Amino acid sequence: MTSPEQPLRILAHTSAVPRIRRELSRRSLLGLAAVGGAGVLSACGGGGSGSGASNPTAVPTGAPPSQVATGGPLEGSISMYSWGDYDAPEVLEAFTKDKGPKITTDSFGSNEELISKLVAGKGTGGYDIVVPTGAFIPQMVQNGLLAPINKELITNLQHMDPQFLGQAWDPENNYSICKAWGTTGFVYDKTKITRELKTWSDFADAATKEASGKVSVLDDPAEITGIYYWANGIDWNTTDSAQIDAAEKFVVETLAPHVAAFDSYPGGQAIPQGTHWLMQVWNGDARIGIQNSKDPERWQWVLGSPTTELWMDNWAIAAGAPHPEAAHAFIDYVLTPENQLANVDYIGYHTGAKDIEDAAKKAGLDMLDMVFFTPEQIATMKTGEVNDAQQRTVDIWNKAKAAAGA
Amino acid sequence: MSTVDERRPAGAPVRADGPPPRNRVPRPWTDRLLTVVGVLVLAFLFAPIVVVIVYSFNEGRLLIAWDHFGFGSFRALTERPAIRSAVVVSLQVAVLSSLVATLLGTMAGVALARRPGRWTWWFIGLLLLVSVTPEIVDAVSLLPWLVYLGNDAGLSVFNGGIVRLVVGHSLFSTAVVSYIVRARLVGLDESLEEASGDLYAPPGRTFRRITVPLAMPAVLAGFLLSFTLSLDNTIVSAFVQVSGTTPWPVYVLSALRSGLRPEIAAVSTVMLVLTLLALGLVAWVLRRSGDSATDIARTMGGG
Amino acid sequence: MPEAAPAAPPSRLRLPRFALALPAGLWLVVFFVVPIATIVWFSFGYKPGLFGTHANDVLSLERYRETFSSTFFATFRNTLWVGVAGTALCLLVGMPAAYWMAVKAPARRRGLLIALVMVPYWTNFLVRTIGWQVILAPQGWLSGLLQSLHLTSGPLDILYTRTAVLIGVVYNYLPLMILPLFVAFDRVGEPLREASKDLGATRWRTFTRVTLPLARPGIVAGTVLVFIPLMGDYVTATVLGGARGNMVGQLVASQFQTAQNWALGSAMAVVLILVIAVTVGVFAALAWLVGRPLRARHRLVLEEVP
Repeated sequence: MTSPEQPLRILAHTSAVPRIRRELSRRSLLGLAAVGGAGVLSACGGGGSGSGASNPTAVPTGAPPSQVATGGPLEGSISMYSWGDYDAPEVLEAFTKDKGPKITTDSFGSNEELISKLVAGKGTGGYDIVVPTGAFIPQMVQNGLLAPINKELITNLQHMDPQFLGQAWDPENNYSICKAWGTTGFVYDKTKITRELKTWSDFADAATKEASGKVSVLDDPAEITGIYYWANGIDWNTTDSAQIDAAEKFVVETLAPHVAAFDSYPGGQAIPQGTHWLMQVWNGDARIGIQNSKDPERWQWVLGSPTTELWMDNWAIAAGAPHPEAAHAFIDYVLTPENQLANVDYIGYHTGAKDIEDAAKKAGLDMLDMVFFTPEQIATMKTGEVNDAQQRTVDIWNKAKAAAGA
Repeated sequence: MSTVDERRPAGAPVRADGPPPRNRVPRPWTDRLLTVVGVLVLAFLFAPIVVVIVYSFNEGRLLIAWDHFGFGSFRALTERPAIRSAVVVSLQVAVLSSLVATLLGTMAGVALARRPGRWTWWFIGLLLLVSVTPEIVDAVSLLPWLVYLGNDAGLSVFNGGIVRLVVGHSLFSTAVVSYIVRARLVGLDESLEEASGDLYAPPGRTFRRITVPLAMPAVLAGFLLSFTLSLDNTIVSAFVQVSGTTPWPVYVLSALRSGLRPEIAAVSTVMLVLTLLALGLVAWVLRRSGDSATDIARTMGGG
Repeated sequence: MPEAAPAAPPSRLRLPRFALALPAGLWLVVFFVVPIATIVWFSFGYKPGLFGTHANDVLSLERYRETFSSTFFATFRNTLWVGVAGTALCLLVGMPAAYWMAVKAPARRRGLLIALVMVPYWTNFLVRTIGWQVILAPQGWLSGLLQSLHLTSGPLDILYTRTAVLIGVVYNYLPLMILPLFVAFDRVGEPLREASKDLGATRWRTFTRVTLPLARPGIVAGTVLVFIPLMGDYVTATVLGGARGNMVGQLVASQFQTAQNWALGSAMAVVLILVIAVTVGVFAALAWLVGRPLRARHRLVLEEVP
């Protein structure tokens, strides 16, 4: 068996490269090294999986011709693999009515699930459209999991706000287009915490004092160490071990003993039920929670400061997508202003469209300050990346859980 | 106390002739206490389900936050193909995987109880290993293997989502059925089977006529457990599913990202009502044909 | 299920003793042992680069060294507590309920009762959990009830405590305890208990000397079916218990999922399985030791007549 990690160098004509690459990846499956096989791919691609670490500029892999849509006739169906309940049902229905293709939707609960599935399937999963989070896109491109988007077919890209295009993981939007984005902040119970909290430092202070034992944080490693980095003005993508050590000390020794729960979606339950007093939360989730609380006045939403996160889920097309034309048509379709508005209304997150704030105001949506942010606020938000600190961050997360559970 | 004694599980028919009096003396306090405990346990089991039923009539945006009463959430069943398909996939897989697990587990359980030998230790060790392995480990190891079998070994049957899910769900369930069937038969008098053998019944017939009916309550219990475990399986399902076969628990879990809607409760309520109707029907049919758990089992097993 | 019967072999042909277990054995070997073997293999490898998950060209025991960290043991202690307390409570709650269903409830309703035990679990796990949260939340049903009855002064504060961990665990594992127990009690049979009574045994003696020993395989099966999967579970304990329900399976899952370090995750899984096996062994030995004097007192020695 060819060991996946020993780089394999082959002298070949450029046009033959995609074919060889495909063949190699098929063979690597024979050795049961389904995921490790990806190492062969990237080694050939020239990036080298190890050295490509913090280089988000993905090496463009030439997609087999069958996957590049040319604007030909649409296929009869599309398969979308996305977060559950993440699209307004009326938009999906209207697409089928207007354009024809029937949509099958499947759901995943984490980016890792999505990636494992695509890697193991190697283009046989049958998925056309996938919706990964930005930080995972370099990895997916390097492993040949995504097909390039033919932007000529996405004319409605003109309705997108350039601010939310060209993100670090895909500067040219060759593989991905913003589907929805959000940020991280916290919500507190004003009847229990009477002082005003404004920053991540305030969050940490209240968590260790009056809110102790009534605190929840997001169940995600980078979000937890993020509290420390954001509060102290440190780049939350740092790989400096001294800073990571400091973050560990803060999270495990200072914060964790006061944490009652690691909950990624407090808006769905904890806020309406008043279970905790202080909760780290994503903006859209906080909005749903406060809107549905019996006593909305009780809750105060605070956007994390001085800095905080910007995460973005993206439309992308899976490598080996069986219905590329219809997939392009669908992405183009959802980018029209009226469909973007329907999705903002349905999921409660900004979809990255231009001038959508006014449209949303006109449509009478409420609590829009938790969906749309001022340019100054957006300037304090930074996207995350998967880098060499990942393993340490996960270790800190596990230590924090052990400390909180003791 | 007597009111509690009178309480019947839903769907149980009122009968004029009660069970034959077993005790010559009036029922002692321990029996009443047991009845109270039993009913309390059932109440404990149904407590959260009552909440779910109530909240399925919620007309709000979030399942958990009561807005006002209405039937709107039930429309989702007809209007949202993704939900309907997830439920159908789950039910199909649950029936198929529990059949597989029951079949394999029953035979293994009988062998463990009736044909013990040195192999038993190995086999029980294997079953324990199956139950102890965290689901995520099953999931990440099973996915590449199924893809390999489907794509490279040319067994295209393993590219089907339903087949993959059935395989994934049947593993732990097979162990569960084996344990329960073994627990039922082990140490139980073997004289019936021996008598049957002495009367020159071929082993196959002895098995069908004697062993299976003896084991039947365990087989049914194992089937019920397998069915239930499959309906709830999330982690393995999330990994092995293919396009078009997202099962219901995976759908619910992934819907957390934008907040669970009352539709999810409505689907649960409809499923519950359908199951209770089915159970009521079965009870009614059985009341006409026989009684006692073992007789019921024999009827269903056709033995 | 009549199809469970194997094809009847021609009258006296002897099949190996494990013949009936062969299909299940093969099934588990193909779909469980083979994939798990790859996991064991991965555990000797390493994580290659940022975007790889495992590689095996250099083999080492490094991953096992990394596994034995203080985090692992701290988490394992919590897991053991949840496992033991959860199993004991399941047994405590499940035993009388199963006994009632199998012995005391009217015979014709037994099948229905056992089905009713399962029905709540046909509602999705997360949805059931939400049901519990509505009941137990500070502004929930139970809290309101207790306060209106003046049984408590403030809002109920039970979610995210150790009590909540146990409620979640007992609720979700109870059927795995009740069903084997029901099946075991059901087989003891009325005539045997009657005989015991006719011979002058009291109710309690009948229960401890006749019913319980005969139901022992069921008790063992129930305990095993609850304890072992519970030790590897990392979701159930956290849904109501939050941080207090932290389990060691979470460490394994975090390596596979978030860290994408399959090598370390595999080593952790192997260690977890071994540690649980040792734990089960220790408990079995303890149970045997505790039971020995009892068994010796009640043993009836039947000497073979030559």
